[in-house]
Amino acid sequence: MTTEENDMQTQPAGKAKGGASPFIRLDEGKLQPKRKVDMNSIAVVKSENFNFYYGSKVGVKNITMDIYPCSVTAIIGPSGCGKSTFIRSINRINDLIPHGRAEGKLFVNGHNVYEKNTNLIRLRQQTGMVFQRPNPFPKSIFDNVAYGPRLQGIRDNSELQRIVEESLRAAALWDEVRDDLKNSAFALSGGQQQRLCIARALATRPNILLMDEPCSALDPTATGKIEDLIDQLQKDYTIVIVTHNMQQAARVSQRTAFFCLGELVEYDLTSKIFSNPAKKRTEDYVTGRFG
Amino acid sequence: MDKFFTGLSGFSIVLLTAALLIVLVPMLLKGGSAVFFKGTVEFRKMQADIFNRGDDAALKNEKERTRRAREFIYDSIETFKNGIDPAALSEKVRQINRQFGEQLKDKGIEGEDYQSLRSIARELRDKLIEAFESNDRNLINENIKFVFSYKQDNRLANSGMKEMFAIAEKFSRAIENVDFQKRDRYAQSLGEIEEIVTQLLGPKPGEPVPVLAMARYGATRWEQAEKLKEQLLYPVRWVGGKPGEPLVAEKYSRQEEFKGTAIEPLFGYVDKELSNMLEPRRTFYWQFFIDDSINSHYFGGVGPEILGTLLLTIVAMIFVIPLGVISAAYLVECSTENLAVKIIRMCINTLAGVPSIVFGLFGLAFFVLYLLPLFGAPSKGNILAASLTLAVLTLPLMIRASEEALRAVPHTYKEASLALGAGHFRTFIKVTLPAAMPGILTGIILSLGRVAGETAPILFTGTAAVASIPKSLFDATRTLSYGSYDMAVGDRIAAMVPHQQYGMVVTLILLVLILNTAAILLRWKISKKLRGH
Ligand SMILES: Nc1ncnc2c1ncn2[C@@H]1O[C@H](COP(=O)(O)OP(=O)(O)OP(=O)(O)O)[C@@H](O)[C@H]1O
Ligand SMILES: [Mg+2]
Repeated sequence: MTTEENDMQTQPAGKAKGGASPFIRLDEGKLQPKRKVDMNSIAVVKSENFNFYYGSKVGVKNITMDIYPCSVTAIIGPSGCGKSTFIRSINRINDLIPHGRAEGKLFVNGHNVYEKNTNLIRLRQQTGMVFQRPNPFPKSIFDNVAYGPRLQGIRDNSELQRIVEESLRAAALWDEVRDDLKNSAFALSGGQQQRLCIARALATRPNILLMDEPCSALDPTATGKIEDLIDQLQKDYTIVIVTHNMQQAARVSQRTAFFCLGELVEYDLTSKIFSNPAKKRTEDYVTGRFG
Repeated sequence: MDKFFTGLSGFSIVLLTAALLIVLVPMLLKGGSAVFFKGTVEFRKMQADIFNRGDDAALKNEKERTRRAREFIYDSIETFKNGIDPAALSEKVRQINRQFGEQLKDKGIEGEDYQSLRSIARELRDKLIEAFESNDRNLINENIKFVFSYKQDNRLANSGMKEMFAIAEKFSRAIENVDFQKRDRYAQSLGEIEEIVTQLLGPKPGEPVPVLAMARYGATRWEQAEKLKEQLLYPVRWVGGKPGEPLVAEKYSRQEEFKGTAIEPLFGYVDKELSNMLEPRRTFYWQFFIDDSINSHYFGGVGPEILGTLLLTIVAMIFVIPLGVISAAYLVECSTENLAVKIIRMCINTLAGVPSIVFGLFGLAFFVLYLLPLFGAPSKGNILAASLTLAVLTLPLMIRASEEALRAVPHTYKEASLALGAGHFRTFIKVTLPAAMPGILTGIILSLGRVAGETAPILFTGTAAVASIPKSLFDATRTLSYGSYDMAVGDRIAAMVPHQQYGMVVTLILLVLILNTAAILLRWKISKKLRGH
């Protein structure tokens, strides 16, 4: 399972091709200059007329939107409108669905991931995902975080330890678990587990973080911590967050997309969506007049 | 309604427990007696001779003590025999007479002396034989008296004829209370008595050692001895009912039968002194689990059976576990529900319901006669073939259990792993399989029990009732299940040593229990780790 051959065609400049580790370190910090992207013009995720079908049933259709680097993009919309379908199409985790079918183009870091030669492993290393319910593995905290790096072939213990610590620090969990790394992840609280999942996703050094309702299983305090964390992370990561909580979307995101019945109704700066939406449906939804 | 269900479940638990106790307790007790029992001196002799076990000096003392306690038995039988067995006595007397002639020649006595002594001896012989064979007490007394009249004759008294006088004396004493009408009945009963005494005390001292080990010792177990005692003192006879009605068993006292004869005291003696003759002692024969069996389980233990069972089980599991898990993984991970998968699933379900004897015949036809000979194995039953047959038998079970376990792993684990950039294979090995381990272990436990206990599939494929300890996988072996079966069908010995048969069954239960406990502990540990406590 070498990741070098059949690589995604474009890759962030920060990834040291042919180097010892295909890996951008957090301590190399500021990823943007290395990636040499113009923050506002080049989209990290770019979908063009993207459709996804569950068999004959439409999941999302005709989605065209650009997601910009180093910012938080919120996706809101009523239940069943295709938010999860879209966000799960980005890292192609939807491939698992037996009769699922994707149409159109969806670029991640410039590469159309639905092209045949896509290296799924590389793609998923670049796009960390956080799920609705905390889903740590039934392993120790350390092994959970080290799972991704180990997959990338890192065996050296001190190296692993460093990555685990960095990731846990980045996920604002380090101080709470520094002494129990050998304990099972299941011994943590729900909020801690979710932050552990974020740390686990960060440990593979992605530049995109996909979060599907990361706070829906958490209490307000834990939610607050995650939101703070998102705030911090957006300096280095491109974050896409699906949420049902309008205040949350307003609080954490710079841009907001409103989905309805599988379609993208409106996509704009968050401030605009919540204060002065262009579409009636959006207004109904954000003001709570929508069912 | 709630109370009703509580009552119902309570009742069913009680019922289950009762059924379990009714089935298991007698079996455990009987089987337990293979290990815990009162062993007699005969048992210790056997252990010393065959297994080189025990305290030699103590055993020597025991032997001496019991020998002395037994003397009375042999003496009274001998005495009684002299009264009722004319043929043997006559033969002896004839022999003495012949030897006497030769003795005379050796001493150099010739001529007239020789002739007259010989004729006296001949006459004494004839008189005695006449007495032995007569049923007329007067004639017997007359003849004996005649014989005794020569007792003072120095020429005879100091020669081999001395023995003849001794026999005459013993005989006259022996017949004192013998009812001549019953001679035949006595002879038959005496035969029985001698047979029982041999079974009880082993062969008579001085007789040649029997070839079969089982005939070399008396009752090795006290309960066996007591049974024989009962047979000796109170035998059963079948008395005819009216015509057309079945015979009825009736106990009678042998002491009554022999009342007044020289053998009468024997019965009282056996009744009182049996424990001195056998010295029963509480015995913990743990070596039952390691000893080889002697004379198809008349003595000894089930060591080779345990070994064989373990061997078959382990080899079978070596095939079943990976095959089962891989098949289950294929069904769960690699395939969508297409026609092929449906057919495979149907085959698995059908296989699970096939009677085990069919697998036995399949194993014989395929593994023993076809497949293994291709690799140079002789086409006869062997461990590998039996294990493979067992593996095929239990594979459906294993696949189904593993499949269920794999399906029960939360989908989110898999998604999380894939989202971190793991491939499907990696995800399976690193996440799905460990999380499914408790369920897979359950499958292993079920398979283990099945494999260790099955008889039919190994009947033709790799077992033998009598086999030495296997040296390779291409040898046949004994197993506990097959041994129990073999003893149950048509083995005369099994009826004599029920504790061996039950011991084997209980050992099998214990073995499966131990294997299962180990697996359950392992499962418990793993799921504890998975739950994170
Ligand atoms: N595995 C699936 N098979 C078939 N249809 C599906 C599947 N998953 C989702 N759908 C359908 O696709 C549509 C979009 O579902 P999706 O999960 O993307 O909605 P959502 O916006 O995430 O809703 P929620 O806010 O409730 O999570 C729904 O109508 C749903 O019924
Ligand atoms: Mg959803």
